[in-house]
Amino acid sequence: MTKLWANQVLTIARLEVRKAFLSKRGLWVYLLALFPAVLFFGHGIDTQWKRKQWSQQVTSRSLVESVQIGERAADVRLKLGKPLRDFEYRRRRDGNDESRRMMEYFDGQRRYKFHFVDDLLKDKSDQALASLEEDTQVFSGMFQYFYLRLAIFFGCLGIFMNLFRGEMLDKTLHFWFLAPVRREVLLVGKYLAGLVASAIIFGGGTMLAFFAMLWALDPADVQAYWQGPGMGHLFWYTASAMLGCVGYGSVFLAAGLLLRNPIVPASMILLWESINGFLPAILQKLSILYYLQSLCPLPAPVDKNMPAVLRLILAPAEPAPAVWAVLGLLGVTALVLWVASQAVRRLEVNYSTE
Amino acid sequence: MSNEIIFTEVSKFYGEVLGVNRVSLRVPPGITSLVGPNGSGKTTLMNLMCGLIHADQGTISVRGISPRNPEQLMRQTGYCTQFDAAPRGYTGYQFVSASLLLHGYSPAEADERTWRAIDRVNLREAAPRKVAGYSKGMRQRIRLAQSIAHEPDVLILDEPLNGLDPLVRAETIALFREFAARGKHVILSSHVLQEVDVISDQVILIANGSIIAEGQIHNVREEMTEHPSQFLIRCPDAAKVAALLFAEDHITEVRLHADRQGLLVLTRSRERFSELLNQIVLGGQNIESIVQADANVDSLYEYLIGGGR
Repeated sequence: MTKLWANQVLTIARLEVRKAFLSKRGLWVYLLALFPAVLFFGHGIDTQWKRKQWSQQVTSRSLVESVQIGERAADVRLKLGKPLRDFEYRRRRDGNDESRRMMEYFDGQRRYKFHFVDDLLKDKSDQALASLEEDTQVFSGMFQYFYLRLAIFFGCLGIFMNLFRGEMLDKTLHFWFLAPVRREVLLVGKYLAGLVASAIIFGGGTMLAFFAMLWALDPADVQAYWQGPGMGHLFWYTASAMLGCVGYGSVFLAAGLLLRNPIVPASMILLWESINGFLPAILQKLSILYYLQSLCPLPAPVDKNMPAVLRLILAPAEPAPAVWAVLGLLGVTALVLWVASQAVRRLEVNYSTE
Repeated sequence: MSNEIIFTEVSKFYGEVLGVNRVSLRVPPGITSLVGPNGSGKTTLMNLMCGLIHADQGTISVRGISPRNPEQLMRQTGYCTQFDAAPRGYTGYQFVSASLLLHGYSPAEADERTWRAIDRVNLREAAPRKVAGYSKGMRQRIRLAQSIAHEPDVLILDEPLNGLDPLVRAETIALFREFAARGKHVILSSHVLQEVDVISDQVILIANGSIIAEGQIHNVREEMTEHPSQFLIRCPDAAKVAALLFAEDHITEVRLHADRQGLLVLTRSRERFSELLNQIVLGGQNIESIVQADANVDSLYEYLIGGGR
């Protein structure tokens, strides 16, 4: 019997997975999943372009660093040569009219900015054209604030809510209910189809974004990163994305069986996930996001100037150890799937009320 | 294990709306027709039998299996629904074979059974095309192929003759008879009694969610015979024809139309009415047209529910 059920689950998943991947209604899921990759790829192209342009006018680092505060602009220009960018402007401050100037140089890796006030060097700063440390921070923020909270959340809503609710709207659910298949087996088969599709889409999206982030960086930095924590970071980000599909998928599958309008469950779950940080520890464990953030290898950066309430919402609760995070997430998923199995047993085909 | 389909005091409500009310039935093998006007509860009874909806009260047993157990029930049952749609993107072949794969047949066996079922409904050429592009009749046939592909013991068909051309209709009826001859249940629904009475072993008449008559077809036919048939006649001298008609005892009522060129006639015997009309025409009266006014089954229900006129 168990073998028959397993075969039926695989048959249903095989029949449904193509629909989950190729649904016209689900094209926006791909846009969500690929958005970070496109963003990082665009950033990479910009970096490469700048590197190529600026490499024609490289100034030696020792020369750039020899410039001292208080030097005159003409002397700096004489010492370093023609800058990459050089622009002047006037600024009124406390009734005084200041003459300002900014000159920019490039040493092949870093950009140096010299700020002059009334022709004297007032301030200098430097910034890597592409920084691994900075980009991994940006990636962490993007992944936790956008990918986990919004992209995977809404992507799973689109994929999993449709598994049963979409069949109701298409008036095709009877096809499945008239097969000699236990309703629970049907539920698992459809869930598996949605999971395969969403995990590949969002797991793949995560990997693409990760590689797009590294693509334009200094090869030596990238090699060092791969030899260090890079592989672990990639694994845990991808695992978080896929486990996000496991968790949110089960929630939206159940929601599709229990409720007609996706806006209601989506708003409620989004609210629950957002206020989770305020809740007692036991309730935090009933959140998918809590476990997913626990698995992320780097904490998401939080802007110190952000309003306190927003910072509280965005800041992750005390993370759980990875093993507990995975087990906790699977536990929540199993609980939600059990609720869904009770709902699917009671579900009736009544298209006229849809 | 019982080989009957048994409804015991079954009721189903859709919210406040009554679906079927305290239905008790025993349906033996053979061809059984559920006949009733639209909205009478035929589809509700069929959906209850297949577990697509659940009874609020009462119990149902389909050859000893509860509809709450689809795993066993649908192994022995095929249901050709009225729902027109197939899963998105499916071809006719996929529609049938996917169903067989869910039964647990190997891909090779599912393929063989799929083509056998498709051939039985003469749809081989259209099988590789998407169901969404099929005509109404083709959709009807592919659904029929899907419902018979696993050789069920209970075949349930909701308005199966709708949209079929006469040739396919005859083939389909032959298929039902072949199933019934092998001791299987064939349960079909129709809102046209004349359409199914010649092929049915049993008829169940249903109206407003209640069974109003059931039994072997000849018993129900007797009820029909007692029910006066209505005809509209157009003729230039309607008053004269009315007088001739009214002289016969099987004519129960004659109403003259306001323009005095038409008649509504109620007769208890169609055969004698036909003979009488021949005599009237031979006697020199000009009859321009004769139309049966109660060809649909609604008037019969009215008669049965109302207890006759």
